[in-house]
Amino acid sequence: MATEVLWWIFAAAIVGASAGVVFSRSVLHSAIFLIGSMAGVGAMYVFLTVEFLALVQFLIYGGAVTVLILLALMLTRSDPTGRPEPVNGPQLPFALLVGISLITILVAVALDTAWGDSGEGPANIAIETVSERMFSDFGVPFVLSSVLLLVALIGAIILARQEEGE
Amino acid sequence: MLFADPLFGLPSWVDAVIRVVIVILVMTLVVVYLTVGERWVVARFQQRLGPRKTGPGGILQGFADALKLVTKEDIRPTNADRWVFELAPYATFIPVLMTLIVLPFAKDWGVRNLALGLFYVFAVLGLNIVGIMMAGLGSGNKYALLGGVRAAAQMISYEIPLVISLLCVVMITGADMGGGVGTLNLNVIAALQEDRPYIVLQPLAFLIFFTAMLSELHRAPFDIPVAESEIVGGYFVEYSGIRWSMFQLTEYASMWGFSVFGSVVFLGGWAWPFGVDAHWTVQLGTTLVKSLAFIIAIMWMRVTVPRLRIDQLMNFSWKVLLELSFLQLIVNGFILLYDWPQELLALTSGIGAVVLIALIIRHSTAKASKGLVGTYRTLGSTPQ
Repeated sequence: MATEVLWWIFAAAIVGASAGVVFSRSVLHSAIFLIGSMAGVGAMYVFLTVEFLALVQFLIYGGAVTVLILLALMLTRSDPTGRPEPVNGPQLPFALLVGISLITILVAVALDTAWGDSGEGPANIAIETVSERMFSDFGVPFVLSSVLLLVALIGAIILARQEEGE
Repeated sequence: MLFADPLFGLPSWVDAVIRVVIVILVMTLVVVYLTVGERWVVARFQQRLGPRKTGPGGILQGFADALKLVTKEDIRPTNADRWVFELAPYATFIPVLMTLIVLPFAKDWGVRNLALGLFYVFAVLGLNIVGIMMAGLGSGNKYALLGGVRAAAQMISYEIPLVISLLCVVMITGADMGGGVGTLNLNVIAALQEDRPYIVLQPLAFLIFFTAMLSELHRAPFDIPVAESEIVGGYFVEYSGIRWSMFQLTEYASMWGFSVFGSVVFLGGWAWPFGVDAHWTVQLGTTLVKSLAFIIAIMWMRVTVPRLRIDQLMNFSWKVLLELSFLQLIVNGFILLYDWPQELLALTSGIGAVVLIALIIRHSTAKASKGLVGTYRTLGSTPQ
């Protein structure tokens, strides 16, 4: 019962923060609302008793991705304060296209799914199981994806170096 | 092993609230005494007395400072982004408070005993940087912005060696638990060190952890985000009064938290040398002495080593610490995979630690390069 109440509180918080991302007039505020939204999703994983996924959500989306966004904001904007900026531009039709098609897909999937109460509580997955699956059962895809990331990393370094040399 | 049963048969959440309140009260007291303790230690190193007038021997100095800070005026610049500016101290402090929840101070003496404790600590500590960047961006001040950028760059760089050095220890817990899967549970990690602390097996990982910890704490010699003589205080330059003291609270609370965490992972926590079944006062005392040793070492570094320049800082992380930590991880992997004796772990890691220290000494005693150095070199080479 208490979990259910908490669930609704966090659901409202996620929706509110996500609305804040879209509607706030300053990019800085959007980025901070995004952190709130991501952290709320992390809390949802705790309710589903997948603590590992919740912590990964905090680490990757809360600690890394949003820091990257904030760092980009710090380095690129001419006005570092959080003053409102006009949010329109040549990307408007593309943004509309992407947004509307995403909403259509999500609504279609939601309507298509048979929502039922399975009656089962969420099962706790031990981290040993996760690591077993990742390193033994799916070892080759894991190695391949790490090679891909390494290539991306080296590529980024090469691009950054070329820029500096000129 | 069972840890942290609810106190007196209370419901789980009441028990959790009581434990959190106790941890917060202890933390406040520890922070008050760390601020004045740092002044005493630094004064001792500099052959002066330090604050000795308030109360017998100066023991009330911390409370006097706290009272002064609370009654000071809280100023918000008109240029600042109001909500970002005002919420930044809380966003910095809350992650540090959250990490205190999993730290085991003695057997059964912690708020919660999480199976993923070690992972939790660095996942939550990663959120700390968000508050620092909010302070940097929201203050509307160029120095604060510079401090925020420096803090972010530094934190991203040093988090990798920090995490890898902890993973080296986690690998060994697997061998200690009878081969196979290790553990991330801080209580179990402490209990596994009943016979010998992991610093004996992993001196290199400990050195890397300690260095990266100094950087995460923004302590000298890695204090460039808050360097007073360079950017007049860094990201909290515009703060005053109670909000400024929240940043100080964060700094000292995380110093304490990291000290307890480091002593649990590397120095044997509450279990070594008196064993898992020692009386709780002994275990609590062990943790206290070990974390105090950590804190004194941090302060010792502050008064001994001069501040690094930003390019030296980045070079040290990416060109020295990262490689050595990966090397440690790979060597550990080989030794544990083939079930070679644990003395070999100590030997290889010891050689690595000696190499690291020799590198640092050789670099610091080398002759200063002539002319422009570091990042200025590329600028200087272009035609004037």
